[in-house]
This record gives sequence, C-alpha cells and structure tokens, in this order.
Amino acid sequence: MRRRLLRIAAAGTALLLLAAAGPADSPVNVPEPDGIWTGPQRGYTPATLSGATVIDIDALDALIARDRPVLLDVSLADRRPAGLPADRPWLPAHRSVPGAVWMANAGAAPLDPAHEALFLKRVADLTGGDKGRAVVAFCHPECWGSWNAAKRLVLQGYTRVHWFPEGIEGWQERHPTTVIPEDSAWTALANGEAQR
Amino acid sequence: MIHALAKPVLNRAVLVRSILAAVTLAAPLATAGAALVPSPAHAAGASDDEAERLARWKEIQKSIFGDKTITATDSLVKVDAPVRAMDASLVPITLTMPEKDRVAAVHLIIDDNPSPYAAHIAFGPGADAGEIKLRVRVNNYTNIHAVVETRDGQLFETTKFVKASGGCSAPMGMSDEEAMKGMGDMKLKFAEAQPGRPVEATLMIRHPNFSGMQMNQITRDYTPARYINKIAITRGDKTVLTLDGDISISSNPVINFGLQPGGQGPIKVVASDNQNGRWEHSFTAPSATN
Repeated sequence: MRRRLLRIAAAGTALLLLAAAGPADSPVNVPEPDGIWTGPQRGYTPATLSGATVIDIDALDALIARDRPVLLDVSLADRRPAGLPADRPWLPAHRSVPGAVWMANAGAAPLDPAHEALFLKRVADLTGGDKGRAVVAFCHPECWGSWNAAKRLVLQGYTRVHWFPEGIEGWQERHPTTVIPEDSAWTALANGEAQR
Repeated sequence: MIHALAKPVLNRAVLVRSILAAVTLAAPLATAGAALVPSPAHAAGASDDEAERLARWKEIQKSIFGDKTITATDSLVKVDAPVRAMDASLVPITLTMPEKDRVAAVHLIIDDNPSPYAAHIAFGPGADAGEIKLRVRVNNYTNIHAVVETRDGQLFETTKFVKASGGCSAPMGMSDEEAMKGMGDMKLKFAEAQPGRPVEATLMIRHPNFSGMQMNQITRDYTPARYINKIAITRGDKTVLTLDGDISISSNPVINFGLQPGGQGPIKVVASDNQNGRWEHSFTAPSATN
C-alpha cells in the first residue's frame, strides 16, 4: 500500500516536472491579458508579451554584454510581519541582479497614479529619455509584476522592452546576486505616503 | 508547489550547460597552464558575493550573540540539508552533534531570511543531544549556520550553503481557516527502542505557522504571523528540550530528537504560539525489552 502510494507520488512528481520545465512552459496555456493584468499577482504567466521580447538567461547575458540595458527589478519587498516580537532580529536584504534598479511592486495593478507616474519618470531618467534604449523587467518566476511593468513600458511607446520571466531565481542559477537597496526616489514616495 | 518542483529541471539543465561550458573553457586554458585562473569579471563577482555573505553573518551574529567569540568547528556540530531544496517552504535540516555530552544548546540561523534566527534548542538532562531534525522555510540562496553552546559556555559554529528561494512567502495552497483546522493536535512517534540506546522520537504538531509574509492572492492581504514560539518537552521531572521557534519553521512542524535511555514517566509536550495559543499533550514512551 505504502509502496503504491509512493509510486503514485513519484509518477505525479515526474508529471509535474515534465509539465513545468520552465517559467515560459506553464502547464496551462495562459493567454495574454488585454493590457495590464489585474488578477492575482502570483501565478502562471503567459509565454509571450506582445510588443516586448521574452528572454531567457542566455539572452539576458548577451543583452547585458552588448547593450548595457536598464535592469528593472519590481519584486515585492519583505514586510515585517505584524506580531513579530520587537527583540527578534528583522534584517531583510533584497538580493538581485547587480546593477538593477529596484522599485518594489511597481508592477502592481491597479497602481495608484503617483506611483505609476514615478515609475515612468524613473524609467525615463534611467534611459536618458531614449525610448529605444534596451530595458529589462524582472521579478520572480510566476510573478505578474514584471510582466505588467514591461507591458506598461510597451504601452508608453518603449520599443526595446524585454521581459525576463525566470527573474532573480534564473539569474542566481548562473551568477552571484548582490544586496541592492530600493530606488531612493521610490522609497521617498512610499515614506511620504506613510507620513500623511 | 509546482513552481518549487519545476526548479530542479531548470536547474539541472542549467547545471549541465555550465559544466559543459566549464569543460570547454577549461580545456584550452589547461593547455596554457592557467586552468585555475577564472576570468577576472567572474572572480570579482564571486568574491564580492562571499564577502557580502560574511558581512551579513557578522551583522546577524552581533545582533544575537553580541561580542561573544564564536569559533568555527567541524567536529562539534554539522548541518545537513539538501544543497538544492525541492520545496523552499519545507527544507529538511539535520543538526548532528557527535560530542553530545558537551552540548547545552544549539542555535539555527538562516542568514538570508529576513528573520534569520530560526530556532534555539536548549537540551535538558532527559535529552540525547546527538541529533535534531526539523523543517524550515528558506527565502533565498543562503548560508545556514548552526551555533553550538557547550556546557562550559563556549560557542562554536558551522555553516552550509542551501539553494532554495521563496519559502517564507509561499502560500499554503488552502484557506487560512482550513490551514488552522485541528491546530495544536500532536503526534509523537518513537523509533524502536533498544536497551541502553537513546530513543529517537518524532514530534508532529498541526499548526500553520503563518510567517506573516504569505499574501492572500485574492484579497492581497497578508495573513498575520501566527507561529509556534515555544515547545517544551519534559519526561517525568526531567527537561528533554526547549525550542524557541520563529516564522522560519515550516507549517505543521516536525521535530526529531533523542531521548536519554532509561528515562521514566510520560513525555509531556507543551507548545505555545505568539497569539496565546497553548496546547499540552502527554505521551507514553516505549520501554526497551530485552
């Protein structure tokens, strides 16, 4: 009985492994939403993003070597859980692609107008106002945030937008990560809100 | 879950690719007599990474142990964990302490978790401190440190690098209500007892151990942290162990520990959580038969 259960479990695992070989190969075929995705932010993502290029780690490496793209990390920040005692060390550190600019949750939808405007302004700053500059959006596998961030830029007329769905996990398979602080303008906006 | 399972495939492919790349690269370099010299860019990246991880450990060390000296050890404690975890929210950890009679307590620290101090386990006279197993959440590729406190008050540490990510925020895949069903139920299982040998026991507690970092995907609210912060195990009038836990302990905690041979009386387990939950159960340990 136990052995049979194990066998079933093993078969199930193998199936899942086969079915989900990579972030771009979701077991279910997720169609592209019409515009920004406002559903749950965590879950299977589409294999495509019209108007942008979906890249794997090989393509990202090549792009970085060739074009020095603007790297946009839109991962969520770790929030101190309510109820964690004050004497527990709370030392969140965000590890990401070296050189990336981190605007936490900038791929959220809906995004309030102040954040949306700041996101677009920061990208305009980072690209030097060149809408043809290569830009890469990423967060984690099965994270809609980077899909949305890339889509936002496509909708704004950026012509060389890349989406890297493997995200930080895909990067750290091959390269060291580094602890990066959140973009200071992005943090300043959040802090300003908290003070209101 | 599927995401966690999916990773090894991706990883294996990447691994094969990097091995192939390394071999291809190494061959011409070896003939040039420079096989051990990595490319400058990569070398800088890797050592920066190590320096950064070391700096973080020093910061955590200071916050937990202050200025006390911690000596590296290969003999007093060993951490075993899968190098690559299948499920980052359920990473099995084994702490082995061969010189068990010297050990008073062990601290488990997951460096890159935002709340790194996962557990502190203090052993009493009823315990066999040779081995502890538990399951933890791992948020990111990280060093895991075990720090042993000896009976004479010294600290010794060892470390192991573990590849897993997303464990702290991974949702449980069910509603909070469902996850809390039967909260506080316990089971205690014993390995077969042999005369004069320590008895291995496995404690299982039903409890979601909500990390406070898990988001409800529909409401986008975070489930408040609700986790077991203390487990006290006694046998008769002797303390076996006391575990101070944190949000890094996996849901439905499972802890393996050893009992001193020849112990008497029922085994009592008292578990409490950070929201004033308290559960107490008593178990009868098997006695060795000749």
